[in-house]
Amino acid sequence: MPRTVEFTDTEFMIAQGARLIEDGKTIFVGWGIPQVVAMLAQKLYVPNVIQLFEFGAIGPQSLLPFVRGTMGGPQNTYRSLQWLNMNWAFSYSAAGYMDYGMLGALQVDPYGNINSTHLGGTFERPERRFAGSGGGNQVASHCWKTIIVIKHEGRRFVPRVDFLTSPGYLDGPGAREKAGLPRGTGPHRVVTSKALFGFDEESRRMTLLSTLRGVTVEEVVKDMAFRPLVAREVFEVPPPTQEELRVLREEIDPDRFIIRGEKMTATP
Amino acid sequence: MRDRAIRREGGVEYRFVPPDEFREHVRDRKSKAPAPKLFTAAEAVAAFVSDGDYIVYDFSSLTRGPQSLIREIIRQRKKDLWIGAEFTLHESPLLVGAGCASRIDVGFLGYGSYIGQAVCDGRVKAYEWTNGGIALRLLAGARGVPFLPTRDLLGTDNMKVSAAKVLNDPYTGDPVCVVPALNPDVALIHVHQADACGNARIFGTNLFALEASLASFRVILSAEEIVESDEFRKDPMRTTIPYFLVDAVVHAPFGAYPGAMPARYEIDLEHVDRLNAIRTDGQMREYLEEYIDSVADHEEFLDRKVGASRMKELRRRATVVEGYR
Repeated sequence: MPRTVEFTDTEFMIAQGARLIEDGKTIFVGWGIPQVVAMLAQKLYVPNVIQLFEFGAIGPQSLLPFVRGTMGGPQNTYRSLQWLNMNWAFSYSAAGYMDYGMLGALQVDPYGNINSTHLGGTFERPERRFAGSGGGNQVASHCWKTIIVIKHEGRRFVPRVDFLTSPGYLDGPGAREKAGLPRGTGPHRVVTSKALFGFDEESRRMTLLSTLRGVTVEEVVKDMAFRPLVAREVFEVPPPTQEELRVLREEIDPDRFIIRGEKMTATP
Repeated sequence: MRDRAIRREGGVEYRFVPPDEFREHVRDRKSKAPAPKLFTAAEAVAAFVSDGDYIVYDFSSLTRGPQSLIREIIRQRKKDLWIGAEFTLHESPLLVGAGCASRIDVGFLGYGSYIGQAVCDGRVKAYEWTNGGIALRLLAGARGVPFLPTRDLLGTDNMKVSAAKVLNDPYTGDPVCVVPALNPDVALIHVHQADACGNARIFGTNLFALEASLASFRVILSAEEIVESDEFRKDPMRTTIPYFLVDAVVHAPFGAYPGAMPARYEIDLEHVDRLNAIRTDGQMREYLEEYIDSVADHEEFLDRKVGASRMKELRRRATVVEGYR
């Protein structure tokens, strides 16, 4: 076994996400990085996971490699159980059939609220404008447990999101239910390129659970514009395994279109 | 009709047609006779798309999108369109860049910095309905009801920049979100097979092909292949859209280019990269001139801008055929 392993922060984030997915469960998968996380998970760890996509691909076993930018193409809908459309796809989540949802985000706040709409300025005249919800709002509203996958950059972890696109715990305990969102749902994990967070049962605030091996709690927290809660015992997460890196680099993304990023090293 | 269909509440504008107005349009203006309605793209767009129209399309920029019809709308420089942007990557920047669209219901705004900058500059107005919200609005439009309830959007800022509302659910007593029916002026749908009257088959998933066809005042199909009408009666399970919802059929091989048509041809990623690289108005003008304005129609576009060998190669790459028939 090598003394250190080299990888990108994106590869770590994807591998960490893939290890969270449970076999024999359902997961509503968002556009981009979440697709790659689900592909890696299904390939290595959870052959019986049921992926679901908003355009109505129910249970596909995606054909590799990943075709960048696409979600509804024939590769990503390959060997589905069923092909439908959007109103039916969101019926699966709204009726309670989706155990997990997995989404990317521009910004996230201590309650796991997601912004994917704009940064700065006002809604009418933003400083920077992005794509908006897509189907993310439905995923974050309906799925039992939402996993957020986001690069660990200070500007992304903010005390309050510039625009609340997809709901986390809104402004705290009980707020989702009060707003009329389905009972017992909400953000579950935040997977970053350095750490893993959960949410405190009582305060519903983001809580640091573990860090990449060799990264300290202080290093994680100094990169955030709010101070998260820190679990009594913070675990360390091993870096991507050789097998995870091989599948990512050779089978899923040979052009390194998605998995490129900041270079890191850690002991396996 | 169009002006009355724009409602304003505070700073929000939204499209709304009372269900009875739409029903009367269907009764009085939609021909149910099985007559051929084959048009060229130029004829169909000229006849059925007007300045100020609200348009929706199915499926996506990269998969089975009605790209040849979008290019024709740009070629004719339709004005002041309102687009329901769902699975939109390139339609919104192109339509805004060409001066065709002034409002976007989002959905997914689009790909790249050009369209983002256009919103920042105030050149186009955006409203936030989310993908699920637009799909549900079309379902309401298709069901002939003024609104439908849903348990999302709630608690978020989308509520402030759309006309979604919170009601007290009369059954549970809990808050519930409602979204208004959407009855677009025009739906543009690219299909695998159609007959001359408008019966159509889509192979694979879709966004809301049937909902949009039922809910829209006018429906323009473009089809890879024109087939005999009897094909549909032999295999009704495979009919996606029946002919009497449809106003025009355009025969458009490679109509989804540069996107893919499942089981027919693959994406042209090089061309997509060109679209993705558009950042400035100058680059936008160059693209529009080279690929849209300098050719008379889709056939000339395929001949001169894509080429037979490229099309052959993209067909060859479409190796995933399982499930599509």
